[in-house]
Amino acid sequence: MAGGVLIVAEHLERRIAPSTLELIATARPLAQALGDERNARIAVLGHGVRDIATHLAGYALDVLLLDHPALAEYTGDGYVQALRGTVESTKPRVILVAHTSQGYDFAPALAGTMDLPLVTNCLAVDLEGDRLVATRRLLNEKVQAQVEIRSDRPIVVTMRPGAVKAMGPARGMMTVTEVPVTLDPSSIRETFVRLERPQVQDIDLSTADIIVSAGRGIQKKENLALVEEFAKAIGGVVGASRPLTDMDWLPKTRQVGQSGKTVRPKLYVACGISGAMQHVAGMKDAGLIVAINTDPTAPIFEVAHVGFIADALKLLPATLKELKA
Amino acid sequence: MPLNLVVCLKQIPNPDLQFQIAPDGKDIRRDVLNYKLNGADEYALEEAVRLKEKNGGRVVAVTLGPKRTEQMLREALAKGADEAVRIAWDDPAAFDAGKNARLLAAAVRTLPHDLVLTGVQSDDYVNSATGGLLAGILGLAHASVVTRVAVQGSRVEVACELEGGLQRVYTLPLPALLSIQFGANTPRYAPLPAIMKAARQPIKELGPAALGLSNWEAVPLPYAFGIRGLSPPTAKGHAEMIAGSVEEQAKRFAQVLREKGFVRR
Repeated sequence: MAGGVLIVAEHLERRIAPSTLELIATARPLAQALGDERNARIAVLGHGVRDIATHLAGYALDVLLLDHPALAEYTGDGYVQALRGTVESTKPRVILVAHTSQGYDFAPALAGTMDLPLVTNCLAVDLEGDRLVATRRLLNEKVQAQVEIRSDRPIVVTMRPGAVKAMGPARGMMTVTEVPVTLDPSSIRETFVRLERPQVQDIDLSTADIIVSAGRGIQKKENLALVEEFAKAIGGVVGASRPLTDMDWLPKTRQVGQSGKTVRPKLYVACGISGAMQHVAGMKDAGLIVAINTDPTAPIFEVAHVGFIADALKLLPATLKELKA
Repeated sequence: MPLNLVVCLKQIPNPDLQFQIAPDGKDIRRDVLNYKLNGADEYALEEAVRLKEKNGGRVVAVTLGPKRTEQMLREALAKGADEAVRIAWDDPAAFDAGKNARLLAAAVRTLPHDLVLTGVQSDDYVNSATGGLLAGILGLAHASVVTRVAVQGSRVEVACELEGGLQRVYTLPLPALLSIQFGANTPRYAPLPAIMKAARQPIKELGPAALGLSNWEAVPLPYAFGIRGLSPPTAKGHAEMIAGSVEEQAKRFAQVLREKGFVRR
């Protein structure tokens, strides 16, 4: 069965990335728009990963297992070369990849190598006849764009993690088909060396009940003292958005977001954080989110439960005074 | 070994600003914007200059865009680039990453390159596509979200950031393309004499003919791209927005904290 939707699964150390289950949810209506709800497949690339393939078959999808010793560790070249054969033989209309570090490593390279259309970091995609319509966010989430691509070639799409709800397992198992992989190991140019884990010496944000996070809006490193004082007063710890840890105002262990910690505290106070996707991905599931920002259009207010259009440097001391009163 | 370094830079509207949609709904209003060098590209430029300082070689900064981008290229020259190239396609929006990458690839082909560096994303369109596309089009080995670079003979060792703070370390052969992550280094400030000197340096302009094209619309693309429309994001927020003076806001904040049991009394 040719055409349809091809999903590329992501896994690391035998765990399936949550974004892969979101791709399955995205694929189903696309396959439906193409005339057959079941015309969606998921490709699992790796070596000795049949258990992952079998697990994914429980989501009512046909699984293509691309097993090759040269795919034991992820490399961009390995993925591009292995997928090339699958794309040529299954001729999908749409190739779905998660917009993760790994996804936006190989998906654009695949599009560049095979001369395929590409649209990345999408919140939603639809098919309307021969057009793929993608919804994206631009300019720090302040502008939404609808982009359309018309092509008779497979369209490579990366989906922003967290944009849709993940799919739960369906009833019934589909088949796992092992696909022969045509791959010349000597043409894989990247050599995997090792995985490095973050050093844990600092406090562990992911176990904190209350986190008060600071962003660029606090302006100066000295102002962190104010955020710390406030956090202490309400029994919390201090977190940060990426720019602050990049500037070494706080250690990397305090960074909340996609490339840092994912946290689910009972209370999250965002002080002067605009709410870029990369930060929001790490804190959107907090119990109560209070956002303080001078910019009323800051995207942090979209995920907040309580919003203050205010300068955190003024509101925090005023609130401390109020709490002591 | 001296390195031929090419760094691709983008000038973007400052994303901290407010944006208005243009009357035709296909772009933002650009007459009111101020522009700056894309955040991640600052780190890519700094990394290129450091690699040159360590290994010897040359840095060529390449951009795509209207005349206004010359200011950014001069900034790159002042910070250590040796040569600046502008692909003189004047589309102020240039929404299609695929077309941009094909134009950049055509320009990079005209330059000697051991390492091509880009930023991991541009903060205006957040595609994270240009680096990977360039690598695919040019047939270069590549690595993305790079936080550390060390050239070792004819190979380069890189650390690539994954989600959750993990890093994947690779080596890859030169020539290669790396997309550089925020925070990979500490970008320098340009010294005043260098700024003065950069103001007088020539900027090389590439027209369509130099890239083997009859005109800017002649880039062969395997698709047709269109912007259907821009809009303010559909507000999905349910935040209770607290107005008033700071004192009034503080009262309400304290009340919320008490009601929800985060502070006693």
